[in-house]
Amino acid sequence: MKQTNNNDSVNKQSFLVACPSCDLLADTSHLKHGETANCARCDHFLCQYKDDGIARSLSYSLSALVLLALACSFPFLSFKASGLESVMTLPQTALRLYDYGMTELSILVAAFILVIPLVILLLLLAICIPLYNNTPNPMLVKTGRMVFTLQHWAMAEVFLIGVIVSLVKIASMATVVLGISFWAYAGFTICFTLALSNLDRVQCWNAIEHLTAEPSS
Amino acid sequence: MTAITAASKDLASCHLCYKLAPATEHHCPRCGSTMHLRKTASIQRTLALLITASILYIPANVLPIMITDQLGSAEPSTILGGVVLLIELGSAPIAAIIFIASVMVPLSKLFALFYLCWCVEKQAKTSNQQNTAMFRMAEFVGKWSMIDVFVVAILVALVNLGGLMAIRPGTAALAFAGVVIVTMVAAESFDPRLMWDQTEENNE
Ligand SMILES: [Zn+2]
Repeated sequence: MKQTNNNDSVNKQSFLVACPSCDLLADTSHLKHGETANCARCDHFLCQYKDDGIARSLSYSLSALVLLALACSFPFLSFKASGLESVMTLPQTALRLYDYGMTELSILVAAFILVIPLVILLLLLAICIPLYNNTPNPMLVKTGRMVFTLQHWAMAEVFLIGVIVSLVKIASMATVVLGISFWAYAGFTICFTLALSNLDRVQCWNAIEHLTAEPSS
Repeated sequence: MTAITAASKDLASCHLCYKLAPATEHHCPRCGSTMHLRKTASIQRTLALLITASILYIPANVLPIMITDQLGSAEPSTILGGVVLLIELGSAPIAAIIFIASVMVPLSKLFALFYLCWCVEKQAKTSNQQNTAMFRMAEFVGKWSMIDVFVVAILVALVNLGGLMAIRPGTAALAFAGVVIVTMVAAESFDPRLMWDQTEENNE
């Protein structure tokens, strides 16, 4: 794994971070593996240094991608009452809204629970693979910008709580059975959250900068 | 004690990659995002978005969020109606989750952000620590209000037994999703550093 401490002045300055919440300057160069830095004035979380952050993020992204594929291909929940049964799949959560004429809402739901998480996973792979292999890639800066912009808009964990609330809401009316997809999506949510939390913003951008910097500077 | 801030050293921090660059730069030298010392027109933008969200909050609560068709009769339910129904069904904890996520969280978020804008505008003497904590809370809870919208989407997709029983989405679901999204953008356009900037000035 690439280390930045053998580097000189360019990276020295990158260890200096201004708190995004109160603008206080903090030096994060002393961080060792697993240590986090919080703002001294307002306690805002600044960064966490991990020697193997990129490798972890990469492996969690790959697992999350497999689990998301599984979650889309099997029944999610099924509902039985008076001898009748209806089965839903994950994409149907958004598609049914479309059938009822609520196009905007179906696009939003599809985006928050499937499309944005999927795009983020693909972007994470596009960042982590070059960083892990130490191969410069012209797309790194653009990809990095997209990942950190999109990450607030993924709502997999919120959806999972929504599923649990729905279950309780209708459990008294009928028999509800959890499908394979439900468990796959729960696993996906965990891996997805870990993939994002292991990619530290400061460390990731220092690595991108280090990799894309011209040899002369 | 004078705090050493980036602004006091004439440095601006990139909001996206946290790179520090001279405050005169327009684009981040590392990631290319537009750079500002402080977010542009932060208070005005936040206020405009908060007013939009407050207006959307009315149809979100007045109109039905979903309609249950059972044996030929249609029964619309609003957000609060759903909470009452859950209590009647005996699932108080779930009623509490829905009530907190769809009523208390959006309302307290609107009030908190309005209050913080007011504090910055009026340069009110308040605790920055407390206000920052309040802002961080408002930022954190943002997307959790979407629970109710997702519940509607799931029930609509799942409960579909032909003429016997079906659940349809109501217009309030879209209005409510709008409230959540607009307040999330409002929290993002608020610059918490403005609160700290004032203490700096007051101390001098
Ligand atoms: Zn701070």
